[in-house]
Amino acid sequence: MANIGIDLGTTHSLVAVVLSGKARCLLDDDERALLPSAVRYDLEGVPQAVGWPALERAGEADGITFTSVKRFMGRSASDGRVAEEARRFGYDLVEDDERVLRFRVGSRDVTPVEVSSYVLRLLHARAEECLFGRPGGAVITVPAYFDDAQRQATRDAARLANIDVLRLLNEPTAAALAYGLDKAQDGEKVVVYDLGGGTFDVSILELDDGIFQVLSTAGDTALGGDDFDQALARVLLQQAGVTEPDGLTFRRAVRAAEAAKRALTDAEQTTIVLEHDGTRIEAGITRADFERLIAPIVARTGEACAQALRDAGLTPDDIDDVVLVGGSTRVPYVRRYVQEAFGKEPHIELDPDQVVALGAAMQADILTGSSELADDMLLLDIVPLSLGIETMGGVVERLIPRCSTIPASHAQTFTTHVDGQNAVDIHIVQGERELVKDNRSLARFKLTGLPSMPAGVPRVKVQFMVDADGILRVSATEELTGTVASLEVQPSYGLSDEEIEDMLEEAIDNAETDMDERLLIDARVEAEQIVHHIEKAIRDDGELLEGDEAERFGALVGELKAAMAGGDRQRIQDLSKQVDEVTAPFAQRRIERDLELALSGRSTAEVSRTLGIDA
Amino acid sequence: MTCWTCNESVQGPVCAGCGAIQPPRPDPDYFEVLGLPRRYHLGERDVEKAWRTLSRKVHPDRFAGRRAVERRMSLQWTATINEARRVLRDPMQRAHYLATGRAAPEEAGGPQLDPDFMETIFELQLEARVDPEGVREQVETLRAQVEGELDEVFSRWEEGEGPLDAAEDLLARLRYLGTAARLTG
Repeated sequence: MANIGIDLGTTHSLVAVVLSGKARCLLDDDERALLPSAVRYDLEGVPQAVGWPALERAGEADGITFTSVKRFMGRSASDGRVAEEARRFGYDLVEDDERVLRFRVGSRDVTPVEVSSYVLRLLHARAEECLFGRPGGAVITVPAYFDDAQRQATRDAARLANIDVLRLLNEPTAAALAYGLDKAQDGEKVVVYDLGGGTFDVSILELDDGIFQVLSTAGDTALGGDDFDQALARVLLQQAGVTEPDGLTFRRAVRAAEAAKRALTDAEQTTIVLEHDGTRIEAGITRADFERLIAPIVARTGEACAQALRDAGLTPDDIDDVVLVGGSTRVPYVRRYVQEAFGKEPHIELDPDQVVALGAAMQADILTGSSELADDMLLLDIVPLSLGIETMGGVVERLIPRCSTIPASHAQTFTTHVDGQNAVDIHIVQGERELVKDNRSLARFKLTGLPSMPAGVPRVKVQFMVDADGILRVSATEELTGTVASLEVQPSYGLSDEEIEDMLEEAIDNAETDMDERLLIDARVEAEQIVHHIEKAIRDDGELLEGDEAERFGALVGELKAAMAGGDRQRIQDLSKQVDEVTAPFAQRRIERDLELALSGRSTAEVSRTLGIDA
Repeated sequence: MTCWTCNESVQGPVCAGCGAIQPPRPDPDYFEVLGLPRRYHLGERDVEKAWRTLSRKVHPDRFAGRRAVERRMSLQWTATINEARRVLRDPMQRAHYLATGRAAPEEAGGPQLDPDFMETIFELQLEARVDPEGVREQVETLRAQVEGELDEVFSRWEEGEGPLDAAEDLLARLRYLGTAARLTG
């Protein structure tokens, strides 16, 4: 059983596997490695399509296509920026549930976890098809900056898709692994520069004798190649004298701009063609024009690079290798910019869209234990943001500082501040700010069942443990009394275990409904063919009907047609069979007649035609 | 020590015979865990090397296919060595750990310091806000002096010739001087 690697991306996702010692991405029937991370729902909230067909129907009114849901994974509806982003994508955010982020589709609520699970399911099915069997487990990549809730949400999506997750792996680590930089010498420092469609991440890794360590990570979640397209589209529209383009015109302009961007990767100049109000607008653009246009956007990536270097305590001179990830790094200007920023020629040998998935597949292979690499390779990640708990006055007490190598654990003892206090609220937060309200709330725990003691006497030990996936587990015990204190877990970020179970059940129910529907459609199609065939035979060869056959056949076909309009699959199938049987003698007569005609001297070709055989 | 699964004699965290990870000890000594001598004078490379060697042996990725109980123990082992490395690779933290048996707290604080020293610090910090250039040298000189004293305390201790009683006080002074140094840029 091969293990697979999955890159669950914002715009695209991929699945890869190591076969005969080499990592490769698995392709769909049209030989594409990329699967758009897009899921189409109809107006009742029933999923209709995943991937390319979902993307193609985006913007059509009979449903909604969700894209970029990765941006919403593990985030809460009460986060102001979430509402703003949801508006930008035209998603209808359910406002009344602050805990779980949901989008309203018809009468149903859809979570980003559910949407992602459909993408994962399709990739998993692709792997199953290519590998001729169910894959073992999966390594799924996540951005290095993903916090605990976002990692949990990714795991939840995999669970919903019935995928066994071996490990969540940071994307930059996967990229370095794909480039085989593990063979690097002592203390080599690698920059992974990942510019996708809508997000930018930069990470600095230290590679040391097979051990990969993330030293720092920075980025901008609202910066990517889409910004290039939009900047170019705006200039294009301006040139065409369109000052206030409607949504459709803008989308068309963006599409034309994107094509021009791709062309300019190899060509020095290109022509952009845009239809507007029935007129054809043509504009020439040179690579130099384009580069002037995107320079300020690309410069913003430089700020994050500087931040990552500062956090790692390094200067550009310390960097040994630079790896490019993400489709937008195909733009020659981006490559030059990176080269200048770090003074190193970046690695471009691998397809920047595939790098992360390939690395994930390699890590998945290592985790089977049978890989050649298994013995000398180890990937060590860090927590991207500090983890702590709320103390008196809404101040954060940090238990695990950011950039700690994981797994990490820390215990701290707290006490009560009211006499006879029987319970302690433990509020877990993530972030770098001093005040709880400025950080991300992850969960609230309640330690109950404390015996009555004066304030300050109980010793409540809170233990944090971050596992190799970067996921946090917290326990709390009162040490003095040895009383077994109960712990209530109420995740404040996303889905509880029960909700996941419900969604799983619903998915299974839906699968049954889907299956029933498909069988019904199949039955109708078959009945349609039978009806068509018999009606044509009666029209063509009515003279061969005997006795009351005309009436009997007509009545039966009428009954079948009525059944087809209804939803009773069994009745359609029964009647289809009956029509077949009852009309069999008539069909037999037609065949005999045709054979006689053939024998009486008509050409074989003519008879064959009559019999429906290719001569 | 004998292995908890195969009863063979075992050295280190993983049984050479059956490959089982051994139960981690509660509240272990960080030096002992990393197999390092209890010394202040250690190179950062020594700590990193010891930590890496152990990481290879005990990391959860090594136990992905084994029993849940072993995966849990591997998690605890790795978390412990990561914490030991975090504390021991920084000289100040290492000194604090040797002197007190605990990792240093994030904030300043600790023992009551000499009022004269506190007065000096207070004045230096005030001046640093007005004229950072002017006091930089003074702060650095003072810091070098305290660092020298700390070094000497540990050198004597490592030779078995003196107690670490003064170390905690010196470390607290260094924390204040560190803050002053940041103010002078």
